[in-house]
Amino acid sequence: MVKKGLGSVHFSTVALALIPVAVGINYIGKLFAGVLKLPLWLDAIGTVLASMLAGPVIGAISGVVNNIIYGLTVDPISFVYGITSLFIGLVTGVMANRGWIQSWGKAIVVGLVVGLTAVLVSTPLNIVFWGGQTGNLWGDALFAVVMSQTSSVWLASFLDELVVDLPDKVLVVLCSYAIYRGLPQRVTQLFSRSNQMEELD
Amino acid sequence: MNSISLYTERDSIIHHIHPTNKVIYIFASILVPILLPSFAVLLGGALFGLILLLIGKVFKRALPMIGFVFLILLTVIIIQGLFHPTNSVLVFTIGPAAFYQEGLLYGLTITLRVMNIVGAFLILVLTTKPSDLVDSLVRRGLSPRFGYVLNSVFQILPQMMVSMKTIMDAQRSRGLETEGGLRVRIKAFLPLIGPVVLNALTHVKERAMALEVRGFHAEGKKTFLYEEKSYIATKPIQWGIWAVIGLAVIGRLMG
Repeated sequence: MVKKGLGSVHFSTVALALIPVAVGINYIGKLFAGVLKLPLWLDAIGTVLASMLAGPVIGAISGVVNNIIYGLTVDPISFVYGITSLFIGLVTGVMANRGWIQSWGKAIVVGLVVGLTAVLVSTPLNIVFWGGQTGNLWGDALFAVVMSQTSSVWLASFLDELVVDLPDKVLVVLCSYAIYRGLPQRVTQLFSRSNQMEELD
Repeated sequence: MNSISLYTERDSIIHHIHPTNKVIYIFASILVPILLPSFAVLLGGALFGLILLLIGKVFKRALPMIGFVFLILLTVIIIQGLFHPTNSVLVFTIGPAAFYQEGLLYGLTITLRVMNIVGAFLILVLTTKPSDLVDSLVRRGLSPRFGYVLNSVFQILPQMMVSMKTIMDAQRSRGLETEGGLRVRIKAFLPLIGPVVLNALTHVKERAMALEVRGFHAEGKKTFLYEEKSYIATKPIQWGIWAVIGLAVIGRLMG
């Protein structure tokens, strides 16, 4: 295994092989959410899991690759939101490194922070590309109400994104945490940053 | 391999344009309308995109996606027409709803701008095989390992979809409820996705070992298995797009 740190560009093969799987998990999460007709996207579980397992950089790359692949296969708009995915991966990874994924309570905090980050990054993008809307029915209804009351595009757009994204991201992090907890050690150890096995050979 | 990609096999000039040029075209479709935000430029750009889609013989494939985006944009025009902060000139009213000129124009600007960008992306996505795009990026200096990561998504996704179907059937046959009230459906999510994830993560190790054995981290110059596809007029098109962007910058500075 090649040592990996924040500044290093050399990733271990395992970490690189994790990226496409993370993208796949995102995709499957979205599909299951569709099959079960859940009112959320749940399409970032792979990104968040990759960050928990292999750290912020791999998580961030997973996020960006996810949106590139999405853009190429499903929805060209999603290229733009690659920046959001990047930050989701980074924030989760950094918080995971600092020991924020040890209990359900902490996982909720991670979810809230990730959700807020996603909202803060997405809102300017929404304003530039859509005049502030998100394309989600409930969020856009709220957008219209706030616009009519305050005529502040930023506030309206922020709230529009907040009501849609925050619950989604909190649930994504909680689902990922539930899966992460259930993973056997032989899997988590593969990506573990404290793994010093390479010293043996 | 590309069963999930939007790429559509056709014989057209657009299909023979270098993928990098299509990427630069996307860049231009975002930048030029920002530099020169006039209706003529916006409308011209959007029409040009549609014409390219027609030449590429992928217009029919593009229509559902354009339609979907347009539906969202319609709500943008309506909401901006009703509530845009600078609204003052009344155009028409429907019942209690009053539509204003400033907001409608603003909504229309956004619509055209998004249509420009979506058109450019659709040209890339519909007329370029993802593996060709990755190939051309690697030839232009993208790390081959990263190229593999991008390409392998297209192999792993179909595998995971099969595994998803198997696990769904297995869990259902064990009595897992996947239909009913919202709570039932939420409760079904983890038992469904959990095994798929575990399965996929276990395969990561095998995949990594298989890659290592094949010299994934080997040093030295990498060669290509396939010759590069031949593309038409790569340099002139590239210069042409840069020239348009350059003209837009000049136009912005002059105006």
